Amino acid sequence: MSRTVLVLDRVSKVYGEGASTVIAVRDVSLELTEGRFVLLMGPSGSGKTTLLLLMGCLLKPTRGRLFLFEHEVSALDERTLPLLRRRYIGFVFQTFNLFPALTALENVELALNLKGITGRRARQQAAELLARVGLGERLHFLPRDLSGGEKQRVALARALAGDPPILLADEPTGMLDSRTGRQIVELLAELSRTENRLVFMVTHDPRVRDLADEVLVMEDGSIVARERAEEEMAAASRGERR
Amino acid sequence: MILREEESAWQAEEFKATMVSLAKKNLFHDRVRFLVALIGIQFAVVLMTLQIGFLLKFMTNASVLIDHIEADLWITAKNLKNFDFGLPFSEQKLYEARRAPGVLWAERFLMGFSYWKMPDGGQETIQVIGFNPETRIGAPWDIVEGDLTDVKYFNQIFIDEADRARLGFPRVGDEVEIIGQRARIAGITRGAKSFTGSPFVFTSFKNALKLSFIPPGQTVYILVKVAPGYAVEEVKQYLAETLTGVDVYTKREFSWKSRRYWLLVTGAGIALLSTALLGLLIGTIIVGQTIYASTIDHLREFGTLKAIGASNADLYRIIIAQALIVALIGYATGMLLSRIFLHVARRAGLEAYLPPEVLLAIFGLTVLMCVSASIISIYKITKLDPALVFRS
Ligand SMILES: Nc1ncnc2c1ncn2[C@@H]1O[C@H](COP(=O)(O)OP(=O)(O)OP(=O)(O)O)[C@@H](O)[C@H]1O
Ligand SMILES: [Mg+2]
Repeated sequence: MSRTVLVLDRVSKVYGEGASTVIAVRDVSLELTEGRFVLLMGPSGSGKTTLLLLMGCLLKPTRGRLFLFEHEVSALDERTLPLLRRRYIGFVFQTFNLFPALTALENVELALNLKGITGRRARQQAAELLARVGLGERLHFLPRDLSGGEKQRVALARALAGDPPILLADEPTGMLDSRTGRQIVELLAELSRTENRLVFMVTHDPRVRDLADEVLVMEDGSIVARERAEEEMAAASRGERR
Repeated sequence: MILREEESAWQAEEFKATMVSLAKKNLFHDRVRFLVALIGIQFAVVLMTLQIGFLLKFMTNASVLIDHIEADLWITAKNLKNFDFGLPFSEQKLYEARRAPGVLWAERFLMGFSYWKMPDGGQETIQVIGFNPETRIGAPWDIVEGDLTDVKYFNQIFIDEADRARLGFPRVGDEVEIIGQRARIAGITRGAKSFTGSPFVFTSFKNALKLSFIPPGQTVYILVKVAPGYAVEEVKQYLAETLTGVDVYTKREFSWKSRRYWLLVTGAGIALLSTALLGLLIGTIIVGQTIYASTIDHLREFGTLKAIGASNADLYRIIIAQALIVALIGYATGMLLSRIFLHVARRAGLEAYLPPEVLLAIFGLTVLMCVSASIISIYKITKLDPALVFRS
């Protein structure tokens, strides 16, 4: 049976105070299990990034509770949250956010260092991770010498540093052409299935729906629809579980 | 709970080294900005070094005779302001001092303002120094030309090589006129330049009485050597209590009193010191601005680091490491530049005095400057919006 990785219990996030408050996330309850590739879609401003920030422990919910492997994290303080992120979460961004002064290898190494893996071991693991995302030949390239797709692969390798059980990606294909973008999404899908990881991805691209196990749709801060993949629904109706 | 084991990795030395190496790489990546910060620090270092060096040299001038004379104690007229403003008092005190326990020897020593007649008919203010030629206590210490025993004879004088131009380029053997009296130059000294700018003229105590306005039977200073086995402080105490109408200082006290006078009372030192402080301030602003601008430029990277698990403390470490790296390189190159400037200055006759503890202090100030310059950047990091890295 798949373990539950992340639980959101009526989580809300309100920005600002007084007259200018924005309710970005409104009473969202979710239960996400390992090994699944989940898409989050929805119009601009619907609260997708905010939800991702909450799940990634970069923001604290205004209301509600958040559990990571059954530990409540919504109450933890600023000193503990970095430790949680280090251990459980890998981030992938639309704009890659690689360190321009560091090579592909060094970018991944840095993340490994942050997770307590240092020295030669870090170097070796970084090379393995880059090979895993198909960049074994580009180890010593600086980000400026890599294509968009290659940069996102480096970012993926970096997110995989320390083997976190959760990958959170916010429009990782937003800066890429559709073919390259699809390759990245295929890689993400594979990373969830073969390594039993929860991959949660925000996207605007409906063409990659077929790759996901589940699609959530958000509107005005709430999850308004939850579609499972067809085969899974069929399986569910036969009374089986994945 | 679940996080215990993580904490040890978080504290690892190697991990700190990673942050420092990232700081270094970021720094050298923005080359122009790095150079601007360096120039800011170099500016501050050079300005501080030169100003403080000249100031200290200036100050040693104010006590040059005191520092070179091997007396332990100086007996002076009451409430003297500094060495150059010496006032006469009765020679009688000399004999009283010699009778005091713990006094190995005591000598008369004269310092009096006087006038030197220039070849063009004008007058130059001079400071006549009179010492005992038999014991040579208080005599000039570095003789370039001439025989010091000559000062025993009638109005034979020594002048310093640094003052020759000021006195109209007299040579050894030349006859000159001092307050209507004929004097002859018997030799040349080195390193005996007065702080007031009025040239020192060295001669015997007896000649000095005639060549200055000090009345006979008076002295300006009494130099005292403390006998072995006696504490300087105790002998000083005894003399101060038994001799009336005079003050007694240790060599250090009198030296510092003379320096401090010119430093504080006249404001000359204040002006120099404030230039040095200005350098420090401008340096801080330039370094602060470049580090701040660099932080703003790298905000996305700091945000990314936070997202992948860095704590605020880690980010501060990067900023502080950057500040320290520029401080170190800026100090080293700034000192190199200072050496070049000092070399040029020395050729122009301007000396500096920079003991190791001062160089260390300037290094300390440079580090302090760079670290305080990064405080705004650190503040900026604490306010970092986590969503920043998710925006395009
Ligand atoms: N720091 C903030 N302060 C105030 N309001 C904010 C802040 N961040 C987001 N918001 C608001 O919260 C709402 C949700 O924003 P969010 O960025 O989560 O939307 P999104 O679904 O990711 O949009 P997009 O598809 O454009 O990225 C928006 O109305 C936005 O203006
Ligand atoms: Mg968004």
